[in-house]
Amino acid sequence: MSERVLVAMSGGVDSSVAAALLHEQGYEVIGATMKLFCYGDDVPDRPCCSLDSINDARRVCERLGVPHYVLNLESAFGRDVIDDFVTQYAAGRTPIPCVRCNTFTKFRDLLHKADALDAQWIATGHYARTRSGELLRGQDTTKDQSYFLWGIDRSVVRRMLLPVGEMTKPETRERARALGLTVVADKVESQDICFVPDGDHAKVIARRLGRDTPSLSRGPVVLFDGTVVGEHDGYARYTIGQRRGVPGGFAEAMYVVAIRPADRAVVIGPRAALLGRGVVAREMNWLVDPMPVGARVEVQVRHRAHATPAEIVRVDGAEVELALEEPVSAITPGQSLVLYDGDRVLGGGFIERGGAGARTALPVLAA
Amino acid sequence: MPQPVYLDHAATTPVRKEVFEVMEPFYGPRFGNPSSVHRWGREARAALDEARERVARCLGAHPDEVCFTSGGTEADNLAVLGPLRSQVEKGRRVILSTPIEHKAVLETVHHAAHDGVTERMLTVTKGGIVDLAASDAAIDDSVAVCTVMWVNNEVGTIQPVPEIAERVKARGGIMHTDAVQAFGKIDINVSKLGIDLLSISGHKIGAPKGVGAMYIRRGTRIDPLFHGGSQDRGRRPGTENVAYAVALSRAAELAVEERETEWARVESLRDSLEEGLLARIPDAVVHGRGAPRAPHVLNISVPGTDSESLLMALDLAGVAASAGSACQSGNVTPSHVLLAMGVKADLAIAAVRMSLGSLTTPEHITRVVELFPALIAKARRLSGAA
Repeated sequence: MSERVLVAMSGGVDSSVAAALLHEQGYEVIGATMKLFCYGDDVPDRPCCSLDSINDARRVCERLGVPHYVLNLESAFGRDVIDDFVTQYAAGRTPIPCVRCNTFTKFRDLLHKADALDAQWIATGHYARTRSGELLRGQDTTKDQSYFLWGIDRSVVRRMLLPVGEMTKPETRERARALGLTVVADKVESQDICFVPDGDHAKVIARRLGRDTPSLSRGPVVLFDGTVVGEHDGYARYTIGQRRGVPGGFAEAMYVVAIRPADRAVVIGPRAALLGRGVVAREMNWLVDPMPVGARVEVQVRHRAHATPAEIVRVDGAEVELALEEPVSAITPGQSLVLYDGDRVLGGGFIERGGAGARTALPVLAA
Repeated sequence: MPQPVYLDHAATTPVRKEVFEVMEPFYGPRFGNPSSVHRWGREARAALDEARERVARCLGAHPDEVCFTSGGTEADNLAVLGPLRSQVEKGRRVILSTPIEHKAVLETVHHAAHDGVTERMLTVTKGGIVDLAASDAAIDDSVAVCTVMWVNNEVGTIQPVPEIAERVKARGGIMHTDAVQAFGKIDINVSKLGIDLLSISGHKIGAPKGVGAMYIRRGTRIDPLFHGGSQDRGRRPGTENVAYAVALSRAAELAVEERETEWARVESLRDSLEEGLLARIPDAVVHGRGAPRAPHVLNISVPGTDSESLLMALDLAGVAASAGSACQSGNVTPSHVLLAMGVKADLAIAAVRMSLGSLTTPEHITRVVELFPALIAKARRLSGAA
């Protein structure tokens, strides 16, 4: 009897091809589309996560001749992902909900469903790979999604199948066409967060916390020394490194360098003020044996940034601090800090703040 | 894998061989339009008239009181919306219904309420029956239409429709009953009841999907949902689907002929399923148990499980069941029927409806009695671990 795999299918090309490839390889494929939030009228034709996408996933399964189910995970997703999303913005951070969706929704809640169905394997259309219980970056470096996957339980990696992680995006599309999955082959890729219509995250915050919530209310734009230089219409509309909406008239271009919920201030400064030499992360999750102080790794502080060499300088339970060998721009609280060794994902955490940087023996690079 | 077990007859049933045979000629030589004056038209007209007479006989109605529709949903829409205008003209502005109706009724009632009519809901007991004692206060001279289903599609409870009809008629209201799940189970004779409108559906009784009928008592003023023709006395414009009308009439006759023997057969199978499951899962809850119930429905919740996972696991093991009524996108939310019966949400989301019928055999019951508790045990181990 063939091995059973539960495939999380969004209705997009990647997970559709994942399902088709596994089917081709002889797995007993069960397709599942997660219904994660209410499909309101304000999201008429999003490429992902709409009812149409459920239909597309179902059409792919029908074509493959495998069962397809819709799983309603709305309340859990609302609690684990959307609530946290607005809470993070309220706390002056820039959240990364896809990480929590992977951690809690896909590789915990969906895994429970897989258990209930005697499915040993769980598969998604992520651009990442697994090798002997370790998670690796995707083959296609321009599409690599390992940055979003650090939060899963280490034991789950052995049960994951990520077939498109071995391919490039053009190869995936080509494969979709070759497999006759015309419904999804040329679908526009969704760049936005699935539950945020038109990229307008303030709308989501307003719906949950009210239009007059502090993070969407007016506050001062200030310089480091406290000088008020303007006003903004809600600090949740800003993120570290942002230029849009920042007042001009300074000698050099100014950027958001900090967000201070206590007095609703958006702090701005020149480009140099964005550079950090250290980073502190919380909720650290290891996908290898936890590494000690002094270990050398590479880190990535945002999706699609290049990795920077770093050293672990403090480990305090689930909080870690790293010193970066070269300054990194716009280290943003709420985003992920992911530790790599080449292609291997070592672990990750949520960025709490920029750190002090090198304390001891790190060579000081000439500025 | 052993032969699959279909326990979802309340969702739909296969077209019976006898039914398929009688409809077949209308896809061949007898293709005429019943409104045409020529020979082909006459042949079709004859078949349609006869079908109408047969359905009327099954309901205790006059043939002119039978209107063919595209199914139960259309009939329910027509029943709720059709009489409203003339009733409102008489100053009657209330639609009376229950919170356990099928969505075809409930959503139509909400729709009408949106257009300025008042909706009023009768209360339902924990057993899943309309509270007759409490209904008197709700039934007054302002009631335009009262719509109460005869057999609930999710839990199978039989509603006191004749008693409610009597009260509604006494106050001058129009009484409708959605008899989609009741037809073929309950002995229905509209000539002896105060029912003005009654809907039935073909595919629940071995006719194809896409055909239903409504009984409309003589003298009941109904505005059509569609416009554009004089077919069916203008109540349902559009060329009649003769093949389907013939199919429905044959299926209805068979259902009435076999009503008592099928009741006994299906009830004994349902009872052994229920007893078998309760013996193996002592804390399982059978919804509507103890209330008068139609014989074909068993709705059961096991604490600490969820129907979504159970239905998938059952499906993968070859057993078809459902959670409440089949939903379009296939997703699962707590049933409005169970919530109205006061069932707690965590128990409601565990509810699995198994509905028996023509395909059900004692062997199927034996298999499910073995299989279901095993799946439950597994689901509970997992939820305990989580």
